[in-house]
Amino acid sequence: MIRFKNVHKWFGKIHVLNDIQLEVGAGEVLVVCGPSGSGKSTLIRCINRLEPIQKGELIVDGMEVHDHKTNMRKLRAEIGFVFQQFNLYPHMTALENVTLAPMKVRKISKKEAISAGMEVMEKVGLGDKIDAYPAQLSGGQQQRVAIARGLCMRPRIMLFDEPTSALDPEMINEVLEVMKALAREGMTMVVVTHEMGFAKEVAHRVAIMDVGQVIEIAPPHEFFSNPKSERTRLFLSKILSH
Amino acid sequence: MWKNYLTRLVQSLPFFITGLWMTIAVSAISLAAGTLIGFFLGILRTRPNRLFRYLIGAWVDVIRGTPFLVQIFIVFFILPEFGIHLDAFPAAILALTNLGACFICEIVAAGIRSVPWGQKEAASSSGLTEWQQLRYVVMPQAMRTILPPLVGQYVLLIKDSSVVSVIGVTDVTRVGWLTVQRIPHGLMVFGLVGLLYFIICYPLIRLSNLLEKKMAKGTR
Repeated sequence: MIRFKNVHKWFGKIHVLNDIQLEVGAGEVLVVCGPSGSGKSTLIRCINRLEPIQKGELIVDGMEVHDHKTNMRKLRAEIGFVFQQFNLYPHMTALENVTLAPMKVRKISKKEAISAGMEVMEKVGLGDKIDAYPAQLSGGQQQRVAIARGLCMRPRIMLFDEPTSALDPEMINEVLEVMKALAREGMTMVVVTHEMGFAKEVAHRVAIMDVGQVIEIAPPHEFFSNPKSERTRLFLSKILSH
Repeated sequence: MWKNYLTRLVQSLPFFITGLWMTIAVSAISLAAGTLIGFFLGILRTRPNRLFRYLIGAWVDVIRGTPFLVQIFIVFFILPEFGIHLDAFPAAILALTNLGACFICEIVAAGIRSVPWGQKEAASSSGLTEWQQLRYVVMPQAMRTILPPLVGQYVLLIKDSSVVSVIGVTDVTRVGWLTVQRIPHGLMVFGLVGLLYFIICYPLIRLSNLLEKKMAKGTR
């Protein structure tokens, strides 16, 4: 579904992605962790070309993301992206946020969009909040609307860029529960997060990045109980201790 | 003596009203055209295309950095040397539209830049076209920042339109000049001219203040 082949990216002189090799299969849930500045956000943002790559090949859902000629709009419609800062449209209600892209990109009728929108809002547990504006919702609710906004496009892949990092601790779980349900339904997901409980429970594989490289990638039970590299051990001891 | 002047001034009121109409016509046409062009340029100015950005930026700087009086002289007296002959009215419209477009371009560009980058990222991530991103996500939010200074700019432009009197457009300012030659009471004559400008501008000033309050309240 997603294949990175010798992918490189630089921000000026900084080598943010250094020879990334990575494959994510259909229906797979991949969790990416690593210290800040390790390139994990850049990695996930490359998948729908929010950041262009400079070298290598990146193939997503059969389309060549590294090729400038590829029609990214078509691909982006198939990929839901959830941001750390939610990025809901503040001038629209929750339902309008959710139905905008289906109506304008998929060109479905308003009526269909609304019924699809209600359905995904129910799914994230916010069926009673469709008319609320983002400013009237808590952080956890906003992030769930953002997930619903992605789902309403019926995407083939969902990408999550630190979806719980901007949330107060008591709101993290409501977002994780929605994501877990999604994972169990077989959605292809790449999740950048430090929520190791989530990784243990639903991830098929966990990857750790450092200085622009994937230094270890393994199924969660192996990753947590028997990490191969010293750096993985060090990182895990730091984030699991609190 | 001044009672006599006042009577004659009242008798010339129709002349002032004609001038007022000319001021309103020049301003309204220029503001409408300037707003359209200003939005167009302001949007182009925030695009990634560098050529457009620099060309528009340079033009806006030239226009903002020179007196309107000089600009209108150039349009009316210098352009004919290059074979472009314009009557006073179209020359006035051209110069004032250009001035308005430049100021409005800057207001629009600043408004667009005030919308957080994440909004554009969210919109483009969902597959919306550039135009749809602008139309449904960026501009509705940018308008909050744009509207109050835009209306304020209208007030400034309406007052700047008085400069067109120097090339012979009989707007309300020129009516004042002509009248003061017959009724030599400058305070009274130009007091009336000022009052007429004030009558047009004051509601706009109030509107601008109102919008500013309203927009400040409605932010997230």
